[in-house]
This record gives sequence, structure tokens and C-alpha cells, in this order.
Amino acid sequence: MALPPSLRTSITPPELELVASEQLVEIVPLVSMERTAFISGAYGPLRPPTKCKVPLWMASNLKLKKKCHIVPPSWLNVEFLQERLLRETTDPSFSEMPFRFAEVAKILLDVAPDDLQNPEKIRMLLKDIREARQAKSREGLSKLDHNELMLPNLCAMEINEIRPFFVRGMSVLTHLTREPAPVDPNAMEQM
Amino acid sequence: MAGPSFIDRARSAADDDDDFPIGDFPGGGRQTIIPQDLAEETPFQQLIRHWMNERHAPDILPGQEMLLGRLLDHIRKQSSDVELLRADPDSSEEEHFRIMLVQTEVERVKFVIRSYIRTRLHKIEKYAKYISANPEIHEKLSKAELDHARRYARLVDYHFNQSVLQSLPEQQRSSEENVPFMPPMTAQPDKLRPVFAHALQDCPPMRLPDGTMSEMQKGQIVLVPFYVVEQLLLRGEVELV
Repeated sequence: MALPPSLRTSITPPELELVASEQLVEIVPLVSMERTAFISGAYGPLRPPTKCKVPLWMASNLKLKKKCHIVPPSWLNVEFLQERLLRETTDPSFSEMPFRFAEVAKILLDVAPDDLQNPEKIRMLLKDIREARQAKSREGLSKLDHNELMLPNLCAMEINEIRPFFVRGMSVLTHLTREPAPVDPNAMEQM
Repeated sequence: MAGPSFIDRARSAADDDDDFPIGDFPGGGRQTIIPQDLAEETPFQQLIRHWMNERHAPDILPGQEMLLGRLLDHIRKQSSDVELLRADPDSSEEEHFRIMLVQTEVERVKFVIRSYIRTRLHKIEKYAKYISANPEIHEKLSKAELDHARRYARLVDYHFNQSVLQSLPEQQRSSEENVPFMPPMTAQPDKLRPVFAHALQDCPPMRLPDGTMSEMQKGQIVLVPFYVVEQLLLRGEVELV
């Protein structure tokens, strides 16, 4: 009751966005502001046109009020994403992507498409990368056992997507296997 | 005219550049996840980490009263500063959106705190009977949580007795029966449930269900049953993702 059932098994994407919004981005402020102490640290002063690093939530807030321009992170451009897409489609393993790329990319595409070069192409590339990685996750399902599963280079949103199924699957496999109990005496009583 | 304290604190605050920078990603980077030093985490980032761990773990984790206390104090200070600024008639445009930013952040912190407490409350109510019976869990709960667990367990017991159990024949009245192949009547935390663990630093070897040892390097993510990483999680070497 304290926690609604929809939140009990997994994290919702908006919550993942909240966590991702703590990351720092560079902005070009259009107004000035003195150095201010927030709970997560002191930011500013904002002196146009010098660039400044602020958390993503602050940057998107300012952008929505048209008080800054956001400098896209180094991985959010067409060349980088195209190169990654090529790697995804040719390599059987997951390529390296920033851990919270899906959340950060969504926020920036929603709030600041004018600060990105070619937002439509970026959207398409991200969609293709996501589909390629999803296909690989599906294949990774065959490696699931009661023991452990290594997931190199998987990102936050993708883990969240596969979580319910993989957790249930591994749970069932654990029950089926009935190995000798682990050292923990509590678990012994459960089995 | 004395300014609000958050401006003074800002002037004397140390420069911190320690949050997760959206770093450069040269093509051949070795790390799998953007590296983050545990020692440089701000209190809010620590709370977010504990919140995520609590959401994913099937068992109750040790509560973080000190961290919560610090953050609540900070929120109170920020809110009172905002009140001061708003009451001041000659605040300019710049002040207005500064106030707005401070308030936005306060809302974010409050949301995480609320969600953290709700998650713990849900687990406590679920395992209330188990908690009342097992003293070793008591150190993970705060005093208020423990009191609540005990009262809740008593209430639920009383309710079951009044509504159903007292009308049953003697042998079937117990709420402690253990039937083979069924889970016990008292809900217990399921430490076999798989979780995704992310190593924050190189970890000592851990024993997997089939007996083999496995070691996690910094930045790896792995899907294992909870009890395998429980000790590492309590020591802070691993986080749930």
C-alpha cells in the first residue's frame, strides 16, 4: 500500500530521468546569475556568454524559459552515433554507450532540438541503435541460467526494460535447479 | 542588508566538479560505465544510490537516518531562505528565477526522500511479522519503523483472529504452519531473487550458486541472486541498478 504495485518490481522511466538529470551539462547562459548554493552543490555564476557547467535539470529548466542554450554532449551528434550504429550491427556484443544515454538524449531532444545539429537524423540513429541492442538482449536470453549473467555495456534504460522478464526467468530457473543451499542459514529455511 | 544565507554559503562553498560529468567518449574507451569516485559523492547522490538499492533489493537494507537528517535540515534551510527572499520587496528578476530553481531542486530532493521512505515502509509492512520475530533485523530499522512494524504485526494478527481464525477448529488456528513445498506462512525476504549489480570498484571474489567463484571488475554489470552480492552491497562496493 505504501508503494503502488506498479512501482514494486521495477523503476519507471521518469524516475530514471530524474536520476539522469543530476549529470552535468555545459550551457551558454543568456542571463546572468550569481553563484548560488543548491543542495547538490554551488553553481554559477552565470555570465553570458561564458559557458558554464550545471546539472541537466537546471539546464532544461533554463532552456524552457529561454534563458540559455545547451551545448550537446560529445556523444550526441550524427558522426558518433553513426559509428556506434555500425559497430552495433557488425559486432555481436554491445558497444559502449554512455550509461544513461537514452534518458539524456530524450531530455535534450525534447527541450533543446534547436541546439543540436540535425535532430531528426539523431532521433533515427538512436532508434536504430536501440533496436539493434534490443535484438541482442533477446539473444542474450538464451544464456540465462540460475547462476549469473554478465551484461557488458548494457545501459540503464535497457536494463530496466529487460528486468521483469529476466528476473522472473532466473528466479524460476533457480527454483528448478535446487542446488545445495548457500552458506546463508536464512535461505536454507526458505528452500 | 544581510542577504539570505544560501548566497553566503555559495560564496564560501568549495568548487565541486565531482558529479557525473557527461564525459568525452573517445572511440576506444576502456570503461564500461562513466567512472565515479565514491568518496566525492554529494549527500544527495548518496541518497539516490541508497534509494535505488532499496528499490531493487528484496530485503530491507540498513536505514540511512543520518543522511536523511542532513538532507532534511538542508531542505529546511533552503525553504526558509526562499521565504526570506520572497518577502523582500526589492528582489529583482534575477532573484525570481533563482528562487524558482532552488524550489525545483527542493522538490526533487523531497521526491527522492518520499520514495525512499515509502519503499522501506512497504517492505516493513510486508515482513512485519518476520521482523517482530527476528531481532537481528532490528538494527536495520529506525526506532519509529520498528515500533510501527510491531504494532502493525499485532493489528494484522488480531484482525485475522477476529475475522477467520477463531471460528476454525483448534488444530487449524495456527498462523505458524509450515507445509512442505509451500512458502512459509510468515512472509520472509526472498534472498534468492535475482538483481542487477553494478560494481563501483574492483570487488573481492564472491561465491555463485553453483559453487564457482566470480570476481567483478570496476564498472561491470551482472545479474545474480541477491544473496551473492548482499555483503558487497552492505559494504558499498556494489550498487543495484
